[in-house]
Amino acid sequence: MRSTWPAVTFFAAAALGPIVVRDAFLLDGLILILLWGATAASWNVAGGYAGQVSLGHAAFFGLGAYSAALLGTRWAVSPWIGLLVGAGLATGFGFILGFLSNRLRGPYFVLATIAFSQVLLIVASRWRGFTSGSEGIPVPFRPGFWTLGIADKRAWVYLVLVLAALLYLVQLYLERSRRGYQLAAVREDEDAALSLGVPARRLKVAAIAASAALTAACGTLWAQYVGFVDPYYVFSVDLSVRFCLAAILGGIGTPLGPFLGAALITILETSLRARFGGIGAGLVGIYLIIYGVVLIVTMRFAPQGLLPWIAEHRRRRAPLGTTA
Amino acid sequence: MSLLSVAGITKRFGGVTANRDVTFDVARGELVGIIGPNGSGKSTLFEIISGFYRPDAGEVRLDGGPLTGLSPDRVCRLGVARTFQKLRPFAGLTVVDNVMVGALTRTRDVRHARSRARELLDRVGLGEKADAHARTLSTGQRKRLELARALATEPRVLLLDEVTGGVDQRSIPGLVQLVRDLHRGGLTLLVIEHNMRVITAVAPRIVALYLGEKIADGTPDAVTRDPRVVDAYLGQAYTR
Repeated sequence: MRSTWPAVTFFAAAALGPIVVRDAFLLDGLILILLWGATAASWNVAGGYAGQVSLGHAAFFGLGAYSAALLGTRWAVSPWIGLLVGAGLATGFGFILGFLSNRLRGPYFVLATIAFSQVLLIVASRWRGFTSGSEGIPVPFRPGFWTLGIADKRAWVYLVLVLAALLYLVQLYLERSRRGYQLAAVREDEDAALSLGVPARRLKVAAIAASAALTAACGTLWAQYVGFVDPYYVFSVDLSVRFCLAAILGGIGTPLGPFLGAALITILETSLRARFGGIGAGLVGIYLIIYGVVLIVTMRFAPQGLLPWIAEHRRRRAPLGTTA
Repeated sequence: MSLLSVAGITKRFGGVTANRDVTFDVARGELVGIIGPNGSGKSTLFEIISGFYRPDAGEVRLDGGPLTGLSPDRVCRLGVARTFQKLRPFAGLTVVDNVMVGALTRTRDVRHARSRARELLDRVGLGEKADAHARTLSTGQRKRLELARALATEPRVLLLDEVTGGVDQRSIPGLVQLVRDLHRGGLTLLVIEHNMRVITAVAPRIVALYLGEKIADGTPDAVTRDPRVVDAYLGQAYTR
């Protein structure tokens, strides 16, 4: 069983962030790391723990973002209610996708997830009367906790920290509980799991539905923080890949991995863009090249992800340390 | 009263009939061997009993209750466990975690499942490997792992598909002894086995299948002397 102290350190450091740092740019980075980490963790519930790799999770993220934004702008409903509505819708769609996963395996399932997010993109960008189409929706700012109109970035850090910690606990449950062991068995070999009495299909569907609902909740909070919902962003394949990438980079199927991966991606992207963004018209895209190279090198040397890679190197060194 | 009853099982795959009207009963505590040349429908029969295939006709009953039409996980929870001919360990999990998956079908308590799994691993002689990854095990050890995993589901009937198949000669006696011990302990077993010497030594009763049909059912002596069995294994030239 893995120890939890690295996670405690991570979350404690994040909690200390607003006390130590006053800089809005850095606080913004911290908020995004926690939010993307939580989203990647939500993806990890299906993709990592249940082994159902989805490249359409932006669909659920977008559902969460749109539900709260639309309910807020059109009927002045609290984003917390919007969060629940989004999570509810995502659960429903998650069930449908889950049933699909019992029919489609491997690349066919992945393709189905991509198609699913593209359908929602089309709906959101074409249904102008309701969603404002491709213009997107500005999220109204009404001060207060109930309306999530929070200007203070430090407060946002703690809000998303609660979300991130919650998702860490969800994953810890999936690692140590009865259902977690059964899900691991389904991921490894579904038929063998069935032969041992594991209700494989039901578990898979439940994992995908839960993953969808959690992703939607992250989407709501993200939209409320950023203040604007753009269909081409929230339903994009790029975004789906980002959730998946963060989890894989940090360590798929590990509770802290998605947060580590999200931290790496966010820091890398933001710092590279800040460093090379204004370098001159001919080199505008150079940060993307560096970004890509770093990802490739990481996966070349740590194909299991960073967290398992670090754990392995510590284990190798441990006997030397103890005999010295 | 029979514990497991197989009645009139027929299964077709396109034009091929894998099982044709196969019928036999297994009494509580009995060990029944199933033999037959390649392609005689032994494994298909196991897939049907364990719920992975649905028969075209016929019925499987456990203690009077129907099993046909139930999903494999339901069949297992009702008390029929199996091993696979082509071994299927959860390669990425540790040996003890593999067995825990089985144990967790009977208990909700993870800690209890772990201690139960360790007990079973000791029993099959894999206690020292408990914390190793399943992918590091040899074929013989994997067979023991599958056995422990299936036993962890506390079966009333255990289906073993090829216990000694693909295992090196030195590992066979240990595995055979394990099966004997389970039988002595009162477990009901249905054992597919290619190795005639093994099956005739272990099973007091043998069912022979050929081209999907049951051609003999009785003591090892009677079955191995049965002209139809000899014919099935050696071809017509050897029967007089």
